[in-house]
Amino acid sequence: MSPLHLSFCSAFVLSGLGLAFHRTHLVSALLCLESMMLSMFVGLTMWPIENQTPSFTMVPIIMLTFSACEAGTGLAILVASTRTHGSDHLHNLSLLQC
Amino acid sequence: MTYFVFFLGVCFVLGILGVASNPSPYYGVVGLVLASVAGCGWLLSLGVSFVALVLFMVYLGGMLVVFVYSVALAAEPFPEAWGDWRVLGYVVALVVVVLGGLVLGGFVGSWGFGVNTVDSVGMFVVRLDFSGVAMLYSRGVGMFLIAGWGLLLTLFVVLELVRGLSRGAIRAV
Amino acid sequence: MNPHTTPVLAISLALGTTITISSNHWVLAWTGLEINTLAIIPLISKSHHPRAVEAATKYFLTQAAASALVLFSSITNAWATGQWDITQLNHPTSCLLLTAAIAIKLGLVPFHFWFPEVLQGSPLMTALLLSTLMKFPPLTLLLMTSKSLNPTLLTAMALASAALGGWMGLNQTQTRKILAFSSISHLGWIAIILVYNPKLALLTFYLYTIMTSAVFMALNKIKALNLSTILTSWTKTPMLNATLMLMLLSLAGLPPLTGFMPKWLIIQELIKQEMTPAAMAIAMLSLLSLFFYLRLAYHSTITLPPNSSNHMKQWYTSKPPSTPTAILASLSILLLPLSPMIHAIV
Repeated sequence: MSPLHLSFCSAFVLSGLGLAFHRTHLVSALLCLESMMLSMFVGLTMWPIENQTPSFTMVPIIMLTFSACEAGTGLAILVASTRTHGSDHLHNLSLLQC
Repeated sequence: MTYFVFFLGVCFVLGILGVASNPSPYYGVVGLVLASVAGCGWLLSLGVSFVALVLFMVYLGGMLVVFVYSVALAAEPFPEAWGDWRVLGYVVALVVVVLGGLVLGGFVGSWGFGVNTVDSVGMFVVRLDFSGVAMLYSRGVGMFLIAGWGLLLTLFVVLELVRGLSRGAIRAV
Repeated sequence: MNPHTTPVLAISLALGTTITISSNHWVLAWTGLEINTLAIIPLISKSHHPRAVEAATKYFLTQAAASALVLFSSITNAWATGQWDITQLNHPTSCLLLTAAIAIKLGLVPFHFWFPEVLQGSPLMTALLLSTLMKFPPLTLLLMTSKSLNPTLLTAMALASAALGGWMGLNQTQTRKILAFSSISHLGWIAIILVYNPKLALLTFYLYTIMTSAVFMALNKIKALNLSTILTSWTKTPMLNATLMLMLLSLAGLPPLTGFMPKWLIIQELIKQEMTPAAMAIAMLSLLSLFFYLRLAYHSTITLPPNSSNHMKQWYTSKPPSTPTAILASLSILLLPLSPMIHAIV
């Protein structure tokens, strides 16, 4: 495991842990999702450099497209839930608990 | 150059740590900007200049600006930076978890700087990504169309989600 | 919903599912999962009620994190082995990560908390989609990698799913939550057989899809969101209520009905694999879910005439019969005699 691989893996794990543990704001959760996607982008770009496969370099572009889609949908959900719940605090999302 | 790349990788991880340690969104978005700039320089030093450019322009220039704007809308009066005890506790806990995982997974002994940076093979070598990303228009046209459909779908989804000014129970504004 | 949006979303659901189940490459499978997640979100939050928006938020956060984890497991595998083929997932770490990610996507037990809440917040037909169509692509990924998954982990998760699905459903009065917990316990049955006989897991999923679609469509017909509405619905559709009882008993897995077939075959296969304790445990744990199916069935038929009920009777309005409900209902009741043929086809 080279240091670069290590740093992208630990970046993904860090942001995943940050999403999984306590989040106050929905925006913070979306930022964590974005940082997961950013570290995936870096990892997907480093794989073809290590293995010298040119055709794989289009995969990070496609991944970036879909992460942009995800970010847009996340921000739309942020707007919708701010409208219905009054704020973007995640502890307000408790209407459906068992 | 190898140490520079390593430094950028450390900056990347520190930026992500800044997002993950649950500060206020104000400061979280600063961490994400730092991480994406460091990641861009990192990819540039590895020799994929076009993908790094796309990261810089699309990600940092397009998406993160929207995020900064939304974060500014969701601002709070007393934001918590990394100096606060709660956020600092998250930082320490996350670092301990990651280091513990590394030690338990046995990754520590097997380090080596096996990195090919741009100056190790020369600046004039044929770049991978120039030919690779261009294949999105020839062989990879299926993926291209699927990604385009995904963007169109997102347009419909976003418009449908935020539609209807009179809907919902409580109005924020 | 805007009439132009609905076809786009329907096409995207079909496209995403098709891409994922027919892909060979992890990135393409991830793309299909993303398209599916994006397309279902406006269907969940169709009413723009706070509950619906909350359900959409929870669904989005869990599914986005889970699909990022799918991609991370595949890239871990690719760094280790150089393979992006779905069937070539051999690295043990990435197998564990993939199991966790698919469990989040499906709602298997350590990661099941989002599922009842999302189902409770969404309309009945979207709940039907969420518990059948949206589970199909992740399940396909799990089937394609089933050779290299960890059997002990999957068996533990399956037993926990059957236990918690049955246990937590006992206390519910909302039909969507009850059906969500029933889905979780059925996923337990699917996951326990996945490594040993993937075809059988697929058969179980198909039959579960038929039965739960019939139940959801019947509930949608009588607009029953909680138990007391079912109690008073015999005045509207008496025949459907009688059939609903049979469909629920089929979902519970009682012998002369369709639902008995997967349970029978799975227990047989587990005993063949010398896993008799696990088979016995999951059979006993499904008794827990039998309790709430029986309660639903009781509510749907006990107030039929000639008994008198204390509730206010709802006015009889002639509803047009629905052909898909009829077909699905008869399939979900009568398929058991055909089990050798179905077992041979799948």
